Amino acid sequence: MDRYGMQNQIACIRRSLFDQGYLDEQFIQLEELQDDANPNFVQEIVTLFYTDSTRLIQNIELTLTSRPTNFSKLDDYMHQFKGSSSSIGAKKVTSECAVFRQYCAAGNAEACIRSFQHIKQEHAILRKKLEFYFQMMGQAAVAQTT
Amino acid sequence: MLEGKQNGQVFKLPKVILLATNITNVELEKAKAAGFADTVIMKPMRASMAAACLQQVLGIGKKRQAGKNMLNGSMALQGLLCGKKILVVDDNMVHQRVVAGALKKFEVAVECRESGKAALKLLQRPYCFDAFFMDIQMPEMNGFEATHPIRMMESKANKQMNGGMDKDSGRKGEWHVPILAMTADVIHATYDALNAGWMDVSKPFEEAKLYQVVAEFFKSTRSNCFT
Repeated sequence: MDRYGMQNQIACIRRSLFDQGYLDEQFIQLEELQDDANPNFVQEIVTLFYTDSTRLIQNIELTLTSRPTNFSKLDDYMHQFKGSSSSIGAKKVTSECAVFRQYCAAGNAEACIRSFQHIKQEHAILRKKLEFYFQMMGQAAVAQTT
Repeated sequence: MLEGKQNGQVFKLPKVILLATNITNVELEKAKAAGFADTVIMKPMRASMAAACLQQVLGIGKKRQAGKNMLNGSMALQGLLCGKKILVVDDNMVHQRVVAGALKKFEVAVECRESGKAALKLLQRPYCFDAFFMDIQMPEMNGFEATHPIRMMESKANKQMNGGMDKDSGRKGEWHVPILAMTADVIHATYDALNAGWMDVSKPFEEAKLYQVVAEFFKSTRSNCFT
């Protein structure tokens, strides 16, 4: 694919991430912070998010299996999770986190478990999409220099 | 601190900008009553907001016409904020990195700490910060608790300068630390409280309004070192 074709494709991928509600304007804020001095800022932040959130997922999973359910701890973890996901503009992940916190506040363990499945799903879907997006951008960057 | 003053240097007290994802009515009222925070920022902090808020609380900037677009404003802000030293205190690493990234874009020197305790350690040795960005909700020590010692220093400094005047500016010693509290879940009921006593820039801001607010709060600041 030629250079312009690639750029068009990347623009389409990016557009769809917003149109389909995976990302919100916070992601644009990250993009605006990327420049020659920080050429990989977006990818770095996203990578940091996934490292951080993977750890949180493990902690939450452990906490969900303990009895009695420690809702306070769960809420603390989810507060962190939501803070991170909203910082990168991960719209669907963030709203699922909000749902989880409501169930947590209500002391509904079953609902928390179900909600957590949704969170993990959205978390994984977004990861794949962003990885693909960054991959395409990497290829385009190479194409531009050759 | 007093020594610094006697040597002809003047001390400075940092502006404290709070970050919070969730703040209750009770917390807000507490903070307001304590004269704790002037400004609330919505988390996650919009990159463009970080520098604008900083400019706002530092009281630097010229009057601008309403409607001036942010792009021109941003470039002007860059010059004004260049060289300022900021401490970001946030236990969320991702958000901390975003705030730091936003500030660095405006050539602000940024230091980051993950907890109130770690932040306060910095206060125990000579430091020079123009502002703190402080998360409200942190484990062990929340933003209010971490900022309290800073307030204490401020009162102490005010008392020591009581009745006296800073000889260069002719200003009486009345240090007030503007604070921006960031929250992602602003409760509508608290908005009045925010607007009443606080500089509220927590909404996705309207640029014209932002510049109006900045113009209103224009005041000269001294850059001092606090030892």
